[in-house]
Amino acid sequence: MLKATDLMVFYENMLALNNISITCADKQIIGVFGANSAGKSTLMYTLSGIMDDIQKKEGMAGGERITVLGRIQYLERDITDLKPSIRAKRGMVLCPERRRIFNESSVMENLRIGGYLATKKQSKETLDYIFELFPPLQKLKKRIGGFLSGGEQQMLAIGRALMAQPKLLLLDEPLMGLSPLIQSILVRATRKIRDKRGISIIVTEQYARPVLPIVDYAYILENGAAVLEGPHDEILNNPDVRSAYFGVSEE
Amino acid sequence: MEQRRKERLDRGIKVRSDGLYALMSWRELSYLTLPRLVLIIGMLMLPFLMPNSYWQRVISIVCLYALLALSFDFLAHFLGLVSLGGAFFIGVGGYLSAIMNTSLGLPPFMAIPLATLLGAGICTLFLLPCLPLRGVYFAIVTLMYPLALARVIEAMDLFGGTDGVLGVDSFPNPWVEQYFVIAMVFLFMFGTRRLVNTDLGLVLRAVKDNDQAVKASGMSITYYKAIAVFIASAMGCLSGACLVHIYMWAGISLFALDFSILPIAATVIGGGGTLVGPVLGCFILVPISELLREFGTLRIVFYSLVLMAFIVFRSEGIMVYGERKYHQFERWVKV
Repeated sequence: MLKATDLMVFYENMLALNNISITCADKQIIGVFGANSAGKSTLMYTLSGIMDDIQKKEGMAGGERITVLGRIQYLERDITDLKPSIRAKRGMVLCPERRRIFNESSVMENLRIGGYLATKKQSKETLDYIFELFPPLQKLKKRIGGFLSGGEQQMLAIGRALMAQPKLLLLDEPLMGLSPLIQSILVRATRKIRDKRGISIIVTEQYARPVLPIVDYAYILENGAAVLEGPHDEILNNPDVRSAYFGVSEE
Repeated sequence: MEQRRKERLDRGIKVRSDGLYALMSWRELSYLTLPRLVLIIGMLMLPFLMPNSYWQRVISIVCLYALLALSFDFLAHFLGLVSLGGAFFIGVGGYLSAIMNTSLGLPPFMAIPLATLLGAGICTLFLLPCLPLRGVYFAIVTLMYPLALARVIEAMDLFGGTDGVLGVDSFPNPWVEQYFVIAMVFLFMFGTRRLVNTDLGLVLRAVKDNDQAVKASGMSITYYKAIAVFIASAMGCLSGACLVHIYMWAGISLFALDFSILPIAATVIGGGGTLVGPVLGCFILVPISELLREFGTLRIVFYSLVLMAFIVFRSEGIMVYGERKYHQFERWVKV
């Protein structure tokens, strides 16, 4: 479904992504784990094409020069030079880090904005699905997005991304700063999205423990390079990973 | 497949001349001082280079606009307040100086500093209510005051009403006039550049980035904003005070919107956040606008085009671009 080869991203002279290749098959959940500054967000921006936009703005304002190298293939087609909006139209939707919901719009409005690309029938069906997936949102329809709690905002952000009818959903740190209870709700929802709707998902996270159980294949990033990759079981049983990303020490 | 990218690195001399090591040799010293010297000497030479007194007058006007542009840049890029209040500052400073000169009989060199300080105080008081807020309020309020004050003066026939204050003393002679305003530009340009790197400047920049964090650090943002607005309006009022002594007249046209708009255009062209760019921008825009005087109001069209072109193609501005070229070099490297 998605195949990115030899991605390299430079922020000025700093290497943020070093030769990363990622593949995502149909209906898979791919996990990307790494500490801060490992390059997770950069990877997500590059895949979704937001990097294109950042690059342009920095260039115009005389800021940092961003160099992006490598190719991205999506649904058998090369999308490396496509704008983020076109990528979203083709079904590659980013649910950004720190949620970035529309603070001044209500929950319902947020979802409707997300459904800009969908037909009326699709958005009605997806809306019902989102309220079924995240029942708490049902009661908050009229509330202003900025006043929701962190967990509710994250549900809203995922819902908004779903409204765009994704075929590939990019979740950037969906569990950031949330309580274990909410985390497990979101993780379960993520799996449901894949199982029920057949959407492929790439999810990044710093702490692998809550997410790893649901991923099919995982990449571990360190300082911009993929130091380890493998299917779920292999990563789960790797002693280095256990100590670094699970908080389990093997004495 | 071999891939290449353009790399940007600091020049060796830039690195060597950082900090105390600049004193190592004449080369490093001159690397640091040359751009500043060129600017200073260039501006000091300008009055001599002008062909006639008309163009000498233009130089004075350029400097007054430069002060306004500095005030805009200072507020916009170091405090995060977008000020459309050039006309407000000019009007307040101008009227005060004119009144002090004609009614109280103070000579220009007493009236100008007094009008600057008093005017800055008045402007700050007027703007105080919107300082705790974030967003467009400051811009709107600074835009409304000059419009309102002009109408008040007209309607209530204050300060000579539509005729304005006549018979204001001029500067002793054109040379004094020009070198006074040039000296003021130097004072405030290098002064604000110094200021933004002091502790106070750090707080101001922090207010721009995140005012809640500043509040959480136990500082009153209203107080710090008031200080910065005082400094910026002092620059504007000084400019207005000089203007009335150059034209020997103060009238409602001091509240004209040009004084608010042109400094913004100059800042965009020169490069915001550098505090030198706006001055350079004025030295480009104002003379051009003088050259185009015969086209009348069509000048505005030209302005808009220049502004659009800069925003689209070089939104960083001349100064940021120049600084980068001066300090850094580029080369192709293999990835």
